[in-house]
Amino acid sequence: MITPGYEAPTLAPSAPAAATDSAVIVEQVSKMYQSNAGPVTALHEVSLTIGRGEFIALIGPSGCGKSTLMRLIGDLDQVTKGSITVKGKTPRQARIDREYGIVFQSPVLYDWRTVRKNVELPLEVMGHPANERRDRARAMLQTVGLRDFENAFPWQLSGGMQQRVAIARALVFEPSILMMDEPFGALDEMTRERLQAELLKVWGGSESDTTVVFVTHSISEAVFLSDRVVVMSPRPGRIETVIPIDLPRPRNKKTREMPGFFHLITQVRDSLRES
Amino acid sequence: MLRQIQPGVGRMLALTYALPMVTFILVIALWEAMVVGFGIPLYLLPAPSAIWEVFASQPAFLFRIGMTTFSQALSGFVIGCTLGILVAAICVRWRVLARGLVPFSVASNAVPIVALSPLFGIWLGSTSPASKIAVVAVMTFFPTLVNVFRGLTSPTPDAIQLLRSYAAPEHVIFFKLRLPASLPYLFNALKISATLSMIGAVVAEFFGGLRNSLGVYIKSEAGILHTREAWSAIVVASIIGITFYTIIVIAERFVMPWYTARQR
Repeated sequence: MITPGYEAPTLAPSAPAAATDSAVIVEQVSKMYQSNAGPVTALHEVSLTIGRGEFIALIGPSGCGKSTLMRLIGDLDQVTKGSITVKGKTPRQARIDREYGIVFQSPVLYDWRTVRKNVELPLEVMGHPANERRDRARAMLQTVGLRDFENAFPWQLSGGMQQRVAIARALVFEPSILMMDEPFGALDEMTRERLQAELLKVWGGSESDTTVVFVTHSISEAVFLSDRVVVMSPRPGRIETVIPIDLPRPRNKKTREMPGFFHLITQVRDSLRES
Repeated sequence: MLRQIQPGVGRMLALTYALPMVTFILVIALWEAMVVGFGIPLYLLPAPSAIWEVFASQPAFLFRIGMTTFSQALSGFVIGCTLGILVAAICVRWRVLARGLVPFSVASNAVPIVALSPLFGIWLGSTSPASKIAVVAVMTFFPTLVNVFRGLTSPTPDAIQLLRSYAAPEHVIFFKLRLPASLPYLFNALKISATLSMIGAVVAEFFGGLRNSLGVYIKSEAGILHTREAWSAIVVASIIGITFYTIIVIAERFVMPWYTARQR
């Protein structure tokens, strides 16, 4: 629905069409921490609206507050000032309603659980019956190409495979918001690019209903994956600029060879330099 | 590929079991040879063959008094470890308690708790099993508390936040994350405690105990220079102690197949 008198920004094809269709609204959010050297401002008056089904990348140097912003949205931390609305609710209510799937930089798989049991974990916490858990976990493992490893233990898998399990675990209960905190940061370049392409497939591309907030250090990763790149700068953490990525979807190997791809990378790099 | 790089299964077995066996036999042989060769008098050090003779003449009696001591060790072990686990769990819920308790528990590693045995004798009766059980319980309580507390608090913040993001309540975080994560630490504690409990029970009996128990028997036989008898009881104490330890190692493999498989 389009609010009368409101013009949809012509940033990107999948940018939020109207406020009513927003998954996340961040308004004038500040976050202060107490440290030994006094209060530190991690985020200063940050505002951002993320559309439903949009893929947003948060990028910036260390200390720009990109992880903090993600954690605030996910109710893993509380704002000092300002407000965050997730699907019309407070982040806390959204968390209680199981709207969030999270993937960290390390896979955080539980050693004592097999691959499948790890994927079943959220369904278990949410009280789904055993046979349904098993079927959904298997289907999810099929999607990430690990169906044959369902009975393996995490330490028997490579780093890339472990991170795939973590993605399967984050998506198995179909959360509306997927939050990823440098999920491929610890992987080698080859594995990284393969997992980026797989992630887009699992996510579902432009038709997807799942909103993704993806924190990264890598410019090419941000450009390849997202609908909009949010460039942040440090001291205090704030949003420098938001760059729409109008590369066509589905994206694949060819995308990386497009002139537009290089152009956008340069654009993001330049705004990072300015910050 | 060079064949020597991959030793066969038989070779692996030989290395794990045969070499310690050879060491054991060599030590016994050396001991026998020294006693015979230097003509060491019986009251100083009996030869292994002499100890074996006495042992073989009354195995039923020796194992009966062994079981008397072991039942006290086991009772103390169960009480001490159970309390240690419970207090560790309470410490996780109320961290202030942990701040107060854990430093003392770590320090208690350096305190010879068996030295308290005579005092427990005064409090609970020097010949009663209760004083022995109490010594063992105190000895096993502290290492269990420290280890299990470490285990319960070992999950990383991310691992905890993952469950929080599913809106998991505290008790779910405890049972699905903290408890399984603490199992390797728990078994470490149980292994330490198993050895400690046998040592504690025997030593506590030196200060008085049931007439037919290992500690009392070793002390009284050694007192009249019946060293072969004393040694044969020591052998029984060792066998029981090692068996107790082995049972826990087997239980560990059974309870944590993921952990033991990874170690291999």
